[in-house]
Amino acid sequence: MLTLLIAVPALGALALLLVPNRGGERDAVVRWLALGISLVVFALALLLWARFDPATAAYQFVERVPWIPRFGISYAVGVDGISLLLVVLTAFLTPIALLSSWESVERSVSAFSLFVLLLEAAMIGVFVATDLFLFYVFWDAMLIPMYFLIGIWGYDQRVYAAVKFMLYTMAGSVLMLVAILGLAYLHSVTTGSYSFDLEQMLTLSLAPRTQFWFFLAFTVAFAIKVPLFPFHTWLPDAHVQAPTAGSVILAGVLLKMGTYGLVRFAFPLFPVAAAYFAPSLALLAVIGIVYGALVAMVQPDMKKLVAYSSVSHLGFVVLGICAMNIQGMQGAVYQMLAHGVTTGGLFLVVGMLSDRRHTRLIADYGGLKAVAPRLTAAFLIITLASIGLPGLNGFVGEFLILFGAFRWAPGFVVVAGLGVILSAVYMLWMVQRVYYGPVAHEENATLPDLRPREWAALAPLVALAIVMGVLPNIFLSPSEPAVRAVVERLDAVRMERAAVRGPEPIALSREP
Amino acid sequence: MISPSFNAIVPMLCATAGALVVMLAESWRARGERMPLGVLGGIALSAAGIALALLWDQQASSFGVIVADNFGIFVSLVVVVAGLVSIAFSSQVLDRDGIPRGEYYALLLFAIVGMMMMATANDLLVVFIGLEVMSVAVYVLTGIRRDDPRGVEGAFKYFLLGAFASAFLLYGVAFTFGLTGTTRLDGIGQFLAARSMSSSPMVLLAMGLLLVGFAFKISAVPFHMWTPDAYEGAPAVVTGFMSTGVKAAAFAAFTRVFLSAFEPFSADWAPLVWYLAIATMVLGTVVGVAQHNLKRMLAYSSIAHGGYLLVGLVAANQVGKEAILFYLAAYAVTNLAAFGAIALLGTADRANDTLQDYRGLWQSRPMVAGVLTVALLSLGGLPPTAGFIGKWYIFSAAVSAGYYGLAIAGVLTSVISVFFYLRVVVMMYMTEPAGTIAPPVVSRAALATLAVTAAIILYLGVLPTALLDLAAASIDTIF
Amino acid sequence: MIPLGNYLLVSAVLFGIGTAGVFMRRNLITVLLSIEIMLNAVNLTFVAFGRQIGTVDGQIIVAFVMTVAAAEAAVGLALVVALFRHRESLNPDGFTSLRW
Repeated sequence: MLTLLIAVPALGALALLLVPNRGGERDAVVRWLALGISLVVFALALLLWARFDPATAAYQFVERVPWIPRFGISYAVGVDGISLLLVVLTAFLTPIALLSSWESVERSVSAFSLFVLLLEAAMIGVFVATDLFLFYVFWDAMLIPMYFLIGIWGYDQRVYAAVKFMLYTMAGSVLMLVAILGLAYLHSVTTGSYSFDLEQMLTLSLAPRTQFWFFLAFTVAFAIKVPLFPFHTWLPDAHVQAPTAGSVILAGVLLKMGTYGLVRFAFPLFPVAAAYFAPSLALLAVIGIVYGALVAMVQPDMKKLVAYSSVSHLGFVVLGICAMNIQGMQGAVYQMLAHGVTTGGLFLVVGMLSDRRHTRLIADYGGLKAVAPRLTAAFLIITLASIGLPGLNGFVGEFLILFGAFRWAPGFVVVAGLGVILSAVYMLWMVQRVYYGPVAHEENATLPDLRPREWAALAPLVALAIVMGVLPNIFLSPSEPAVRAVVERLDAVRMERAAVRGPEPIALSREP
Repeated sequence: MISPSFNAIVPMLCATAGALVVMLAESWRARGERMPLGVLGGIALSAAGIALALLWDQQASSFGVIVADNFGIFVSLVVVVAGLVSIAFSSQVLDRDGIPRGEYYALLLFAIVGMMMMATANDLLVVFIGLEVMSVAVYVLTGIRRDDPRGVEGAFKYFLLGAFASAFLLYGVAFTFGLTGTTRLDGIGQFLAARSMSSSPMVLLAMGLLLVGFAFKISAVPFHMWTPDAYEGAPAVVTGFMSTGVKAAAFAAFTRVFLSAFEPFSADWAPLVWYLAIATMVLGTVVGVAQHNLKRMLAYSSIAHGGYLLVGLVAANQVGKEAILFYLAAYAVTNLAAFGAIALLGTADRANDTLQDYRGLWQSRPMVAGVLTVALLSLGGLPPTAGFIGKWYIFSAAVSAGYYGLAIAGVLTSVISVFFYLRVVVMMYMTEPAGTIAPPVVSRAALATLAVTAAIILYLGVLPTALLDLAAASIDTIF
Repeated sequence: MIPLGNYLLVSAVLFGIGTAGVFMRRNLITVLLSIEIMLNAVNLTFVAFGRQIGTVDGQIIVAFVMTVAAAEAAVGLALVVALFRHRESLNPDGFTSLRW
């Protein structure tokens, strides 16, 4: 089942190559085919959700095939409540991303669709992998299609942005590779055989000193991806330069991988180190919340504004994870989904505007409410969801996070609360300048409203934003057992550590 | 009459016979007559390959100085495959550049004989002779375009430093001989292990000289100065061949000498090699960033990859030895694909090997661009390619030997290296074609070979188990 | 009988002269000759050691080395000739069409 979820987009992508489309004469066929494949994946993801048992924290739909047996590496996949929802989110956003580029991507449609589908396969792979080696393979492999998407179909500074994106993420992830190798080696020291299996790793008892280093290596990789302040500088470039589809996927799914990695790997694997570093991480997260909001406020470019708002919103997610209690973690998981939907939607609308006018500057717009009322309505709903209006999806996540964080460290909540207010300020101010007031520019007077295809892309997002806000339990209940398991593990190990002094640290290094 | 003691040298005899036949055929060739010399070479190499496969697990030994153990066979097979792929690319390039076919194929085969000899040698003197057979042939191959000043200059620099390094190596052999009374590797190993002496100055001197000699051949920093010049000057096909074959053979001999004969003194040489590895990885990648010629860039990349291989040698554990073998194979396929693509893009009057020449290649030659991309990603160590598995293997060896510093230096330099590989990708995909230069015609056979190499790169990246097991089996028979 | 140390010393001095020559002389032919001196220094070492150990191995090895050295010299001189045709000079400082 899970293999199917990875294989359908991957093989589908290769199948696109079989459609002879040298001069672009069969672009339409390729587009429909790609959309069809991504919809099949979405259907599969929904089926997965339907058959998912929300009562247990264990991995479900587990598949395990030995891959490199000499090193205990297996192709091991499985989902629990946390990854299930992210898989569904990925499968949900990909068709929307494809729809959003229906007209704006004209060059090499085959290759574009190929890369989007390959990206989807790799992203699903990241979320379902339960073997660290497999996880790393998908994690790094995902960079390649994203790099091409930004670099070929992006805006003016696309090459710079693509290379920066690639190098930043790689620099972080290779250190994680070393830590993964170290873990596998320590496993072979304790048990006599190599293993990269996540559940095996969780049974390792690591010395605090080892945990610190490995935790740092993992966390830097994830923090760059999130991106946590001060590792966020690649994000505005990548977002602004990426084509709309790239931005939607980047904001909607890729950033979640960082926070997902924290929840799934960094915290459970190294609980002692996690407890030690959590306040510092939370501090960075809170700085990110306020900094992102302040910088977003002064952006003249809509895409950049949304990009910085991501820095701010993901700060909340990290804060929730650092709280290490049920409310905080649940809120973090929920906020990941909510942010995927709302920010995906924001980038979509900004992309539609920029397709129409070929500018992303706020100053070039104004008064669109009169010209394109439906676009305005959709945008307003998504904006309100993004700033966390009760009844829409952003509220649930932020509320839970702040609640969880308050139980842990009220000081952070005060500052983070400031971020909530600021986000309302910069988002609404942008809405006001773009949609209200008089039509300042001639060209804007004749902008077309939403076309059916754009409706098709935008409507699901708007609907989901409302559903998630009104009925949050649909999305909260599947992830609850899994989150509870993570939190209990963190608590248990911390208690244990507090009771007995751990063993002496294993000597890490033997350099001359 | 034919005794089993000849078995181990049969592969070399096949290749030698092929080389001699090619030479003779060339000298009897009527002017203007075309002979399928490449096919002849291919047949000889295939015969050698089959002979090698038959020798697998046989532990054949000829006269005690050539040992066809699995380790040697593995490396020999890598060399033979490198030769076959090079021949497949050559035909088109030779016609285009007016390179004399007879000499070219004969030298290629002789070089392969030398490489196989190095890979299977169990005697320091045989290592030296193999090295010289290989080197002399490769010097000439580097400068085979006598009308090209860069080629001749590169060849001469290569020759000068190569001969210089050979002298060092030989001096090391002489001291080892004086110390132990033998040049056999097993004899040396027994002698040193039995004496189990603390490192005397004589041993250190012998080891140091051998180390310098080998370091030149594998172009480890600071003995790498010849590499960029030779790689840039040589025709791209030859560069592809020598960057893989020479490196594989030299590393095989290096590994065998230092991990079997001089194993008892690893505490003395390991720190030295540690520094060599770090310097090689760092300099190779950092200077590579500044290059504008693709061949020169790949020369520095090849230096850096030598550094990664050295990491495996420093780790010196089971995993490290396997990793060296796997990496050699993965690197060979990858580099052959990259240089093959470069070679095929050249034209008679222009090598087309600067970065600017790759502008918009994706639009004019999507297939070649695709293969080159796969090769570059593999060199950069991104999944799902052979290069990724190789790097992962090497670094897990370093980590399991406790060398976290080496592993971290390795992964960080590989990120830097990705930067310059991506520059080529940027040129190919993200810039508009210059438009004036018509893309060269690429023959179907060469394209098919390119596709095969790319397929192998991806195959090894996704399903490496078969080759990993083979590498492990190769290690079991020695050390 | 002359002790082994003296032979080794002479050969080491010869090797040093050769090495210095490779680096310091500014004529390609002389540089080639310097490499030959290095190889011959090694030959001397082999013979001395062989005599010390009391086998003929050392002298046999020398025969191999001389053969190899001859082949190397042939290729080297050919390359010098080819290079001279392009440059009309034997000074290595002028060969800078390739540089990092």
